[in-house]
Amino acid sequence: MRLQQFSPPLREDLVLALQDIGVRTEVDLILNEDPTAIFTRLPSALGISLLEFRRAVEKVTELASAVPTYGDKQQELENARHDEILRDDMLVGLPEVDALLGGFSPPRLVEISGDKGSGKTTLAMQVALRHLVTVSDSSVLWIDSSGEFAPERVSNMLDQMRGEYSASALERLQVSLAFDIEAVHEVLETLRESMASRNASSYSEFPTTRCIVLDSITPLLAPMLSATSSQGHAIMTTFVRQLRAFADSFSLAIIVINQSTKMLPRNPDAVFETARKPALGPSFTFMTDATLWLSRRPENADDGGSTMHVAEVTRSRISRSKTWAPFKIMNGLLTSA
Amino acid sequence: MSDRPLSTLSSLAPPVLSALAGAGYETVQDLLSNSTPEQLSKDLNIPLPASQAVFSAAAGPSQRSLPMTQSAAAMMGTTAKQYSTACPPLDRLLGGGLKRGFILEINGPPGSGKEQMAATAVRTFVECDQQVLFVDMQNMVLPATIKRILMNSPTADPDGMDLVRYLAFHTTAEFVAFVRSLPAYLEANPSTALLVLNSLAFPFQPHTIKRFAMLDKLKQVLARACASMGLTVIITSQLTTKMLEGNGQPGSAPPGSKSVMIPSFRDSDFPPGRTYRVIIVPLTRTTGVIRLLSSPTHVPSRGQPAREEPYQRIRGMIS
Repeated sequence: MRLQQFSPPLREDLVLALQDIGVRTEVDLILNEDPTAIFTRLPSALGISLLEFRRAVEKVTELASAVPTYGDKQQELENARHDEILRDDMLVGLPEVDALLGGFSPPRLVEISGDKGSGKTTLAMQVALRHLVTVSDSSVLWIDSSGEFAPERVSNMLDQMRGEYSASALERLQVSLAFDIEAVHEVLETLRESMASRNASSYSEFPTTRCIVLDSITPLLAPMLSATSSQGHAIMTTFVRQLRAFADSFSLAIIVINQSTKMLPRNPDAVFETARKPALGPSFTFMTDATLWLSRRPENADDGGSTMHVAEVTRSRISRSKTWAPFKIMNGLLTSA
Repeated sequence: MSDRPLSTLSSLAPPVLSALAGAGYETVQDLLSNSTPEQLSKDLNIPLPASQAVFSAAAGPSQRSLPMTQSAAAMMGTTAKQYSTACPPLDRLLGGGLKRGFILEINGPPGSGKEQMAATAVRTFVECDQQVLFVDMQNMVLPATIKRILMNSPTADPDGMDLVRYLAFHTTAEFVAFVRSLPAYLEANPSTALLVLNSLAFPFQPHTIKRFAMLDKLKQVLARACASMGLTVIITSQLTTKMLEGNGQPGSAPPGSKSVMIPSFRDSDFPPGRTYRVIIVPLTRTTGVIRLLSSPTHVPSRGQPAREEPYQRIRGMIS
């Protein structure tokens, strides 16, 4: 942060003199050199004594340091928030699967990962649609990064769901196309501006966005990850942190769908034997609140056109991990096994 | 005013970004509320145009509605117009016709007339005044054939041929070059409504290495084009022969072995939510059925009979 931006503001002439000798931010002032060394470089025409300078540096240190919080106050806030948002409007609809993470209520950033055909898009779509048909004034933003969103499948699923507000559900499902990370940033920026202006005014004619689904974050970030440069990893971390801050500040549930890559000879974290793991590297799973790993089970596959799947929690900071639950997908809809 | 970090504005040059970080500007809000382009350029010691570029990038999207966004209901509405493939049994399998933004793959044995079907389908699009890009990979359909088909219709427009662009190639390398330059072509010609890929299996002879990578790239390009500009794609593929119960020694077929002809591509080679795959099954010299292998809403599984429509050949394919 620039020295000019501190409030209460510091002495104007001091700030300008510091800028002239190359000290612009609080990091330059406090951490780069000993403050006494900086003092010797200041022009004597400034008329400031060492004591006053030291006091100014102390004030900057105080203003720049993080605000302390107490553990018990944090716990109280968490409990209050948890009670307030324990509604049942962001669920899959299957008690066993919902118990794995305690539902998808905001604010939450969940990663769903798995092989092709394991049911990731179907699961995310079911959460979104169930929410839309039970709550009348909310909307869901679906960010499609590969162009594979199929409205026919969605309306097929919707026909099989019963809910009060299913007539307007399709209109409240907004689909954005974003083929690179820049485009996703733009979509999020526009959403942020519209939600900030909505918070300012109490009346709004558009439904509030309560859930964002990013279908396949992998093609957006995977090309940038490389073994020789860490820039891709930095871009990935900044992006997911922004998503987290977004979810917290606007109380959203964000579901990120991730694909899978090879892991030979076998994945030690998975409950069932598999040689696949979530893509985007080992650190991605720690940036989200929880990672659900979906896999398709081959047993009794042709039981009337339905397929068996298993959802396991490989890592979670909001619930127990290494738990799993089976489910079936019949006609594009998840049902209990 | 937003908290967006300046490092996410990737359209700015790295030296400018590091100068901004060094001067302590972290978020877009810091920048916009505390400085002007002239002040910034003096402050960071960067030229004025670069400073103005920073401000215009930071000003960000100014529209109220999200970019490239529509509701799912609207998406279903815009794809309502159906183009007939000029072959009634195929139209029936597709549920009326082919909609914009969908991919139709026609498989069939040699001589079943699939390339003719693709060429005839071009006529519907030309009649609706849409541009077509016809790519032929095995010299099955020459420009003269397309012209003849277009001129045959009663409402023939002599300028109709101008709407059809023709491209022919045969090798895998040319295919890779084509797939890489396709997005740029579509951006330069946004009114292209139909892309025909004739004999797609030809550049992929069985020994082709990196087959999966090339097909994956094609699938990605097609999915993006179909989603963003509603491009319709018709693909014809030859069948490949697979030996069963044989030991695959090239040149010798052990007694008792069977060979079947199967489609060259799998369901996963095309975007699942927007592809119709059909196969032409000739039963006699002039009749047969067209079978639906998969569609966006329904994948027939084993045990369930697939939808079929009978056809008759009368110098073409008419039911």
